[in-house]
Amino acid sequence: MTTAIKPIFFLISTLLYFSSFSQLKTVYDFQKDDSVLKKAYYGQALENKNKLISSLKEYKKDYQEIYNARFKEVADLLQSSRSVTDQQAHNYLQAVLKKIVEANPELKAKEVRLIFSRDWWPNAYSMGEGTLTVNAGLMVFLDNEAELVYVICHELSHYYLEHSDRAIKKNVETYNSPAFQEELKRLSKQEYGANKQLEAMLKKFAFSSRQHSRENESEADMQAFIFMKKTGYDCNAITTCLQLLDSIDEKFLYKPVDVEQAFNFSAYPFKKKWIQKESSIFSAMKNDESPLTKKEKDSLKTHPDCSIRIAKLKDQISKENVGKKFIVDETLFQKLKKDFFIELTEEQFDRKNMSRNLYYSLQILQSGENTPFAVLSIARCLNYIYDSQKDHQVGTVTDKETRGYPEDYNLLLRMLDKLRLEEIANLNYNFCIKYEGQLSLYKGFNEELQKARKNKSLY
Amino acid sequence: MKKPFFLILITTVLGVIISNAQSQIDNIYKINFKNSDAIKEGTEVKGYYFFYASDKVDKDNYEYTLRISDDNLNVLKDVKFVDSKHVSLLESSFNGTDLIFLFYNSDEKTFDYQVYGADGKKKFSYNRQLSNKEKRYLAQTYLLINDDENSYKGLYPVEGLGFISNMPSREDRDYTFQVDFFSTEKKKQWTYIPTEGAKKFVGEYLGYSNGVVYFEVLKYGGAFDHKPESTILGLSLETGKQVFEIETDAKYRFYPASMSVLNGGKAYIYGEYFDLNDNIAKDKSKGFGFWNVDEKGKIVSEKYCSWDLELGKHLNVNSKGKIDDFGFMYLHNMVQTSDGNIYAIGEGYKKVASALGIASKVLSGGRGGISTVKIKVTDMILIKFDQGFNVKDATIYDKNSNTYELQSGYEFVSTPLIGKMVKYYYGGFDYAYTQTNKDFSSFTVCYSDYVKEKGYKGATFNSISCNDGKITTDKINTKSDATRSIVLPGKQGQVLLLDYYKKDKKLVPHFEKLN
Repeated sequence: MTTAIKPIFFLISTLLYFSSFSQLKTVYDFQKDDSVLKKAYYGQALENKNKLISSLKEYKKDYQEIYNARFKEVADLLQSSRSVTDQQAHNYLQAVLKKIVEANPELKAKEVRLIFSRDWWPNAYSMGEGTLTVNAGLMVFLDNEAELVYVICHELSHYYLEHSDRAIKKNVETYNSPAFQEELKRLSKQEYGANKQLEAMLKKFAFSSRQHSRENESEADMQAFIFMKKTGYDCNAITTCLQLLDSIDEKFLYKPVDVEQAFNFSAYPFKKKWIQKESSIFSAMKNDESPLTKKEKDSLKTHPDCSIRIAKLKDQISKENVGKKFIVDETLFQKLKKDFFIELTEEQFDRKNMSRNLYYSLQILQSGENTPFAVLSIARCLNYIYDSQKDHQVGTVTDKETRGYPEDYNLLLRMLDKLRLEEIANLNYNFCIKYEGQLSLYKGFNEELQKARKNKSLY
Repeated sequence: MKKPFFLILITTVLGVIISNAQSQIDNIYKINFKNSDAIKEGTEVKGYYFFYASDKVDKDNYEYTLRISDDNLNVLKDVKFVDSKHVSLLESSFNGTDLIFLFYNSDEKTFDYQVYGADGKKKFSYNRQLSNKEKRYLAQTYLLINDDENSYKGLYPVEGLGFISNMPSREDRDYTFQVDFFSTEKKKQWTYIPTEGAKKFVGEYLGYSNGVVYFEVLKYGGAFDHKPESTILGLSLETGKQVFEIETDAKYRFYPASMSVLNGGKAYIYGEYFDLNDNIAKDKSKGFGFWNVDEKGKIVSEKYCSWDLELGKHLNVNSKGKIDDFGFMYLHNMVQTSDGNIYAIGEGYKKVASALGIASKVLSGGRGGISTVKIKVTDMILIKFDQGFNVKDATIYDKNSNTYELQSGYEFVSTPLIGKMVKYYYGGFDYAYTQTNKDFSSFTVCYSDYVKEKGYKGATFNSISCNDGKITTDKINTKSDATRSIVLPGKQGQVLLLDYYKKDKKLVPHFEKLN
């Protein structure tokens, strides 16, 4: 190559490099959070807390302690990637909220910060100071907008009826009551049996508190019905939503994960021993896992049974006209459900729960939807697990088999528990190779493939 | 009691009361690490127990909690009971159907063996009252050695049938050992205590096979006998009666160390051997031998592997140079993998001059209480055999050495016996345990070490793993910000680290995998 040609060659090859780079596709367009909105919500919550503290008179220190702890929870949510402020998702939620508030003007005066979170567990909650959250893990299971409206109305009711503030007040007053203080003083001086008596005292307190909490749930259900029936949404969604909540632990958005199918390659076949169940010696103990009596366990439930909740509202719901299942946007509702499953999967990677990240990614892969995302997510996750295992940190990024987890998740955990470094490297390499043709034009995939290849080459 | 802490506790979550499957244990009034251990069935970890005083009941009694967890640390059962503050839990074992816990009451001088079924309910208990002499003897032997690493064990499972207990004992003026069998099928027990033919007996449990319990017995003519008679004793599991006793001095002078059931249920006893004329206190062993002894006491086969011929040619040049540094070999265990190969796991030890002992002798005019030699524990060794015990490979794994001062007079004690002392009296070997997986395609040997490296200075927990014939090594740094940490066995290829934070009164367990 002559000297004159050299610069031209470099120019062309550089241009080619950038043009090929720019052709790489992204596996998925993630939601884009609005940091300004997050800051604004954080500011509101902080101001609200400070206002509350400055208005305190009696037991100021005790209230302050609780309000600070509550604010910390809210701040953790708002300052992390858990909270969703993506314009499309957030605007949708606000539009639904607007329908509720417009139909119930008494709510207009309330400062409400309603957000979605990327938390995987199916739940919604009110922090008691205006922050209301619907977890992605619940949203993905909802059938229609009316069910979402019921969930929001229920949490709004807790806030509207000041359940949280009332509970805090009750706790502080109980704690500062002469009888309670006298008992504490006596226990702190007691040399023998102090732990047992303290435990009994806390149990008594817990039972009374949980009883109260269940009464609040019923009250919130009733109030939610009152709010909802004015909105035009179908109140039968209350029943279907409560039925869903009753069995949500056994629900799957996609079919259960088949690890054998996912990790069986002609060059590296699946080994049955990875998921072989070890003999359990304590099978007879499984029915008696808790030191609490049945009565105690029942007393500690914060929510009444869903069947009881449905029965309480059944007659009134049947009197209502059949409303609509969707008012704001059905298409967007369905899209958000799918988006949220991906968002909560990605969130697990950010929060370094690799077993759950892998579990959800495998579900997505097996569904046939969003394959590029699922493949990249699995490859990245297995590389991360490999590195963690090498550094003896894998115990901090993966769950352990636990009764109560879905069977397929426990099977995956058992497999992760048994896999050796070499096996992880081989699995991931063969997995990447299987999808190389499909994924080579996607951003990030080749890096994961190279890592997997390098790890495999060590054995 | 600090107010804000308490208020937050009652206002938020009542973790201690409500959670029934948390792995962290809070509210620990008093913890003793030897009261936590793995519950094992053979080499497989099936669960864990944590025994701790959870409350003071009165000036003499504590409320105790015995927490039983599965192999993933999910809490299965909390057994609470009130007992004397002098009670401690010495060890436990699992025989595939039942659990046994050995409690010791130092005030009442009692051993209480409690048997629990797999449902967590107590089935029955066996008691042993110790005499003052026995208590003193045990305090110098078993109870002294039961340290945090639980290196000394006296309870052995017999699958589905019961447990064998082996403890040092005293009968009148004789020092001996006591073997008990505790049935788990029904309340049935037998006891065996040798008292005739010697002044002192040291018995070591070797194993169980085909209805016979095997022991290695050393018989001493007196307190200063440095050449005890070595025999293999077989007891009937059914009756506790002696089935056979065979001398181990035959073609060679053979010192059994351990036993493994290999090659389809045959009992192989192994240890170092010497020429009959060798000075066992000074001479290097010739190698190690394997005896297949059947349930009638018949030596079915003998195989001897010499250092020079069989082993030497398999050690690489560096290792060959190290053989002298390696010293004697204590064989800890043998495992047979599914491909038929047999692996022996050993550790080196040697006598070296003790500056402290020599100075002590000089200063005291020859009456110093410390021996002029001390014991240096050296490296690990892994030897691979075929089914006929022909050496196929051998590798020495370097580690930092430890030294142990000996009492005066041990200059003349035979080296194999000193090996046993290092294991059972000093708890001096770094070897921890060996585990195999269910289909015997892999095993992991674990041992502790200490490193001084850039970026880390402290204890490590090391492993030599064999997976489908391929050997790998790994190590975990165990030094952390916890007040104290100990390592317990986990499922094969894993360990459980227990970090105790004294200030927070909590015990945080976490599993780590060995690569």
